[in-house]
Amino acid sequence: MTLFLRQLGWELFRMFARKRTYIGFGVFLAVEILIFVLLTLDRAEQGMQQWIERVAGGFEHYFSALTLAFLIVAFTMLILGAVFVALVTGDIVAKETEDGNLRLLLARPVSRFRLLAIKFLACQLYALVLFWFVGLTAFGVGLIERGWGGGMFVWTPELPRVSIFEWGEGMKRYFMAISAFLIAYLPITGIAFFLSCLKIKPAAATIVTIAYILADSILSAIPLPIFQDYQHFFITPKMKSWSLLLYQDIPWPRVFESWAWLIGFGLTGFILGWVIFERRDVKS
Amino acid sequence: MLTATHLAKRFDRNAPAALDDVSFEVKDGEIFGLLGHNGAGKSTALGILLGMVYPDAGEVVIGGKSIQQQREEALAQVGAIFEAPAFYEYLSGWQNLKVLTALSGGVDTKTMEEVVEWVGLSKRIRHRVGTYSHGMRQRLALAQALLPRPKVLILDEPTDGLDPEGIVEFREQLFELRDRSDVTILLSSHLLSEVEQVCDRVAILRGGKKVYEGGVRGLGGDRLVYRIETEELERARQLADEQDVLPGPEQDLFLLPENADPAAFLESLVKAGVPIRQFTHLESTLEDLYLEVSHEEAPATEAKS
Repeated sequence: MTLFLRQLGWELFRMFARKRTYIGFGVFLAVEILIFVLLTLDRAEQGMQQWIERVAGGFEHYFSALTLAFLIVAFTMLILGAVFVALVTGDIVAKETEDGNLRLLLARPVSRFRLLAIKFLACQLYALVLFWFVGLTAFGVGLIERGWGGGMFVWTPELPRVSIFEWGEGMKRYFMAISAFLIAYLPITGIAFFLSCLKIKPAAATIVTIAYILADSILSAIPLPIFQDYQHFFITPKMKSWSLLLYQDIPWPRVFESWAWLIGFGLTGFILGWVIFERRDVKS
Repeated sequence: MLTATHLAKRFDRNAPAALDDVSFEVKDGEIFGLLGHNGAGKSTALGILLGMVYPDAGEVVIGGKSIQQQREEALAQVGAIFEAPAFYEYLSGWQNLKVLTALSGGVDTKTMEEVVEWVGLSKRIRHRVGTYSHGMRQRLALAQALLPRPKVLILDEPTDGLDPEGIVEFREQLFELRDRSDVTILLSSHLLSEVEQVCDRVAILRGGKKVYEGGVRGLGGDRLVYRIETEELERARQLADEQDVLPGPEQDLFLLPENADPAAFLESLVKAGVPIRQFTHLESTLEDLYLEVSHEEAPATEAKS
């Protein structure tokens, strides 16, 4: 186990040593700031004020750092989250093959399963760091603008009604939701990892993953009976499970059901990738 | 130390076999060369030796462990260098070594420093690999192959792209490794003169088949090669057979033991009444051997699989 952790540590070190990691994180930060600017424009803020006053009362109390951070995170992840996670995971094996590093790794006395398990797990931890980076920076931006304390006002299309929390509970829910992105994004890492294990260009793995997620998302949202009958085949509605943690009363059975689907989907991607990679001839 | 037995591989059902019933043995402490044209099957053979390519048939055993059955145990004894070694360009040489050796269970800092010093990369090991020259990458490749201490080194075109000075240095390093560390070395190369200077024995592949396995001294191996022009070749061959002189791959070639006296052999033929028109010593090189066996229709070799 110690050896596995050491190998995982060096894989993470390798991933975080890349310049593009920081360029990517920088892009996230730039988008967060852009969303913050848009949210604090007079018109947008007035709209929020009217809405909060009508539903919860006390705009100054509920338009807090947490509310602002939640909005920044939700929009940022919607715009960039899937693309970046697919990019990192799509690269993880395919880029090693393309660059010629894979043969040096496979010449080592380590099984292909272990090598892939290290890489898959490293992708998950990398994604977790990204989600926390987005969550903390958004919270930081919120704190600068609104200061410490207040309530939390939350609404997403998935919520049956607006949720309202006080500061302590809001903080707990906010960081639970941020962490839950890891499970929510497992289908993306699963698909991208599976594709990365094929004889395929890294960019192709990323593009196909995004295309799948987009197609799933669009089809699942079409309000026709035929698509409604097959809702259980679509994975993107279950990816919104992170927002269930922001319900006034968390519907844990629904949360666990969604998580079971998401974890199953992600692990299936890993296992299929491993089965194919295990049988592959690796040649120059 | 390394035995490849009846290796066969076909990548595509409609394509010719990449390897067809190839066997060879690399003895303990030996430097063994794998030669062949592009597409002869060298890379496939090396891929199978390292467990990266699955053979359709056959087995590779390294230090008593089968690559096909006990991959990790077998590879724990092996270090490998590939043609145009690819490292993580954005990491330093030292960090690359750390990442790679972690997959072998890790190596202590002192051993790493010793190996880095030995390959002559101490001054630049903390610099990014992206700033390395080809020669420095090759040194780093050798360093990673030697960590942790392997019993067998498998080198794919190790001197490719090196300048003459680099080639000489690399050659000396190989000899030092064999003599001091008792490492068995298998290398593939296109540079015949290099192989001739470095290797004890070679196997030559052609069209996926082994057409020669033996010494590097050319047609006669360790023996002296003589061409005899006479009208009574049969009689000459009979007399040769009585004196431990072997027949060569061609009718008029004779292979004398290394310590034999050619004049005495000639005298015995003349005394026996064989009319000799010409008695010529052939200085056969590995290049002669290579060109002969890699172009001829049917293998005519010292040893065949």
